Amino acid sequence: MKNRVRELRAGDGISQGDLAAALGVSRQTINSIENERYQPSLPLAIAIARYFGGTVEEIFTIDDQETVR
Amino acid sequence: MTRATLTGHRTASAAVLVVGGGAVAAAVWIGGDHGFAVALVAFYVLVAALVYAWSGGQGDIAAIMRVGGDERQRGLDRDANAITGYVVSFAAITGVIVQTARGEGPGGYGVMCVVAGVSYVVSLTALRLRR
Repeated sequence: MKNRVRELRAGDGISQGDLAAALGVSRQTINSIENERYQPSLPLAIAIARYFGGTVEEIFTIDDQETVR
Repeated sequence: MTRATLTGHRTASAAVLVVGGGAVAAAVWIGGDHGFAVALVAFYVLVAALVYAWSGGQGDIAAIMRVGGDERQRGLDRDANAITGYVVSFAAITGVIVQTARGEGPGGYGVMCVVAGVSYVVSLTALRLRR
């Protein structure tokens, strides 16, 4: 699963801490999502999408090779 | 998604240490080793103070210690607990095998195996009802 969180956050000129505070999660969690070490839950993915004014599919993408287990 | 980072109970882990350590110290006291019991109380109070201080921080471990982390931090705690359960179960099974090979009964290792097995079945049954 890939995502554009870092790109969108940088575009808005906000820090990981700012985004974390806005979403009610830790800065470490934002960092893990941006580095694609952690896949957020659906509610958190939706909250991220709403924060950036987009949809989940615009921010989180799944490779064709990946299978949903 | 869960709200977290600075929420939770900062006293949670410290309280567990004080209560658990106090119980161990009381058992040692009742066993007759009063000096060691007093030393245990001092040790657990010191560790609880350190944990209390640490749990006020911003990191993952601090959040887990105050039982107030976000979804990722709670997931880390859950996975660590699961791995710990596997390791303890494996150690108990190994203990039963070694004890049996030595011609002795399973003893406490057997009790641990039974507790682990029953706990797994009950947990699985309860979790299936919720999901």
